[in-house]
Amino acid sequence: MPSAPDPLSNPPGGAQCFEPTQWSIVLAAGKDQPDAREALQRLCTIYWYPLYAFVRRQRHNPQDAQDLTQEFFARLLEKQWLAGVDRSKGRFRSFLLAAMKHFLANEWDHARAQKRGGGKIPISLDTMTAESRYALEPAALDTPERVFERRWALTLLDQVLTRLRGEFAAAGKIHVFEELKSSLTGGSAPYSEIAAKLEMSEGAVKVAVHRLRARYRDLVRAEVAQTVDSDGEIEDELRSLMAAL
Amino acid sequence: MSQTCSQCGAALTSDSPHGLCARCLLQAAAAISSSLTVEAPAPGASSQNQYAGSTPTAVDIGNLAEVARRLPQFEVIELVGRGGMGVVYKAKQVQLDRIVALKILPPGDALSPGFVERFRREARSLAKLCHPNIVSVYDFGESNGLYYFVMEFIDGVTLRELISAHDMTCGEALSVVPKICDALQFAHEEGVVHRDIKPENILIDKKGRVKIADFGLAKLLRREQLDLTLTQSGAMLGTPRYMAPEQLDKPDSVDHRADIYSLGVVFYEMLTGEIPMGRFQKPSEKVQIDVRLDEIVLHTLERDVARRYQHVSEVRDDVENVSRNITAAPKASHPAWQPPIAPAAVAAAGPPPVSGNSSAANVSNAGVTLALLATLAATWLCLYVFDLHVHFGDSILLIASHLLIPIGVAAAVAWMITPRRR
Repeated sequence: MPSAPDPLSNPPGGAQCFEPTQWSIVLAAGKDQPDAREALQRLCTIYWYPLYAFVRRQRHNPQDAQDLTQEFFARLLEKQWLAGVDRSKGRFRSFLLAAMKHFLANEWDHARAQKRGGGKIPISLDTMTAESRYALEPAALDTPERVFERRWALTLLDQVLTRLRGEFAAAGKIHVFEELKSSLTGGSAPYSEIAAKLEMSEGAVKVAVHRLRARYRDLVRAEVAQTVDSDGEIEDELRSLMAAL
Repeated sequence: MSQTCSQCGAALTSDSPHGLCARCLLQAAAAISSSLTVEAPAPGASSQNQYAGSTPTAVDIGNLAEVARRLPQFEVIELVGRGGMGVVYKAKQVQLDRIVALKILPPGDALSPGFVERFRREARSLAKLCHPNIVSVYDFGESNGLYYFVMEFIDGVTLRELISAHDMTCGEALSVVPKICDALQFAHEEGVVHRDIKPENILIDKKGRVKIADFGLAKLLRREQLDLTLTQSGAMLGTPRYMAPEQLDKPDSVDHRADIYSLGVVFYEMLTGEIPMGRFQKPSEKVQIDVRLDEIVLHTLERDVARRYQHVSEVRDDVENVSRNITAAPKASHPAWQPPIAPAAVAAAGPPPVSGNSSAANVSNAGVTLALLATLAATWLCLYVFDLHVHFGDSILLIASHLLIPIGVAAAVAWMITPRRR
């Protein structure tokens, strides 16, 4: 059986652990390049729901919102579509929202949506999940933009934690992750209790928590890095996300 | 079933990522950047709903013009300090025509749930701390999205600057520690734990008076967890080096004894110039000091809170006992010992720029002088013993050869044996 890297035995990972920044690939190469298209598709696959929530909050009904979102992504991933979009805002999050607003204001023609999409589904929107998730959105006091920002932050965190959990699962230590994950927000049970549950020494738990936090931080920053144009923007983006919550 | 985050009190909902508080998760991942530029509400937004629905604008609280614009009731004069818990300006309170220190809290913290209530509660309790060794809080408030404290302005230096500028003598350390103890004891009796005692928060004014700043801010800004995070990532050299072990493990359950541990770290650093880390040496193994100080320092640095000093007044009493005894009967075995110096001397050594290494230089000069005298005596003795009848009129070279060479050698020996730190 191939052995997966143990997230607890690895030293905190550095930037070299991660693939090149997806959004910078798109910006640098333009989406006509295959790798740029792939990068854009990956990003859209992760962050489609915030956009869907934005469209829904604009009082479109579920069916229209699904059609609109699908159509938007279909056009986004078509050739020569990026050219008309204002790229002055360097972050993928800002770009996507601006592009959607532009699309809704100028491009959208509901009657032609099905034809334009041509039945091609560029990314898989889990529309059932979308609506059930949307039902959980807070009361409709927030603007569509705030819903989008908040959802974006939550999606990013969920993505990171899922990946982190996956690393523990691959190492056969999912129970360790479940016991330690509260320590990421500083709310864990006493180390002695965790140590007893996991049959580890208290010292080993402390070390494991330290490594978990370090790995988590690296993954968050790497994930944010995927959506910004340069490393210098990571801190700013993190603050923006914090303000969105 | 409604659950709340044990850290910030925010409600946990079914969409909380993996059941964890999203805000605390992001806070754990974010670093406080040196620019302190954080999201804050747009100016003019009302206090009640300033964050709701408005597009935040970035405010650089390190930008004097920006701060002056948002706090028109002050004449903001100059930036005097910045750190993870905000920036400090020297300012004039226009109506009262008095110079104050204006501490602006990082706007990002104001976005955290329950901040406003905590801010008011903490500020009121800090305003009650009137003590000659505590920086007084005159007022607090919010103005155009910036939360601030108006504090007594201290014209002096921080203990950090003092330590950096020169090696502190044992006497200086022994004159500063009891004052820190007095301030802490007073605050502890008022039910306030500082939680962030470090050289940066200990100020010494030009008259040598010691003043502790930033009481309770660590609690208000919930900085302990964050600082730990930052230090682990290496992103920022932070306060955790001064934190008690229990403060790292269970920050919510610390009491005044955490301050005693931090005081111990500061004390150790003043004596040795280094921070006690891991298996550290006793201070007397690093520098020549009275071994009784080892006991005091190690007692403050007990990892087990139950074995640590239980009250900071006990530290003061023990330090003062040692000081008195040493002053009365300096120990021959500790040649580097100097009696505690007057606060004025601390101040004189303090304000930057401080050139050279005054304490080491004093000791070194004394050693060289003694060596010179001894050499002179020895040289004349040699001349006498070997019956070298020196006539000053025609034997200058002979004198030089007999005096300067031994003097040079003696000075070199004196330099080598003179006790110094680091």
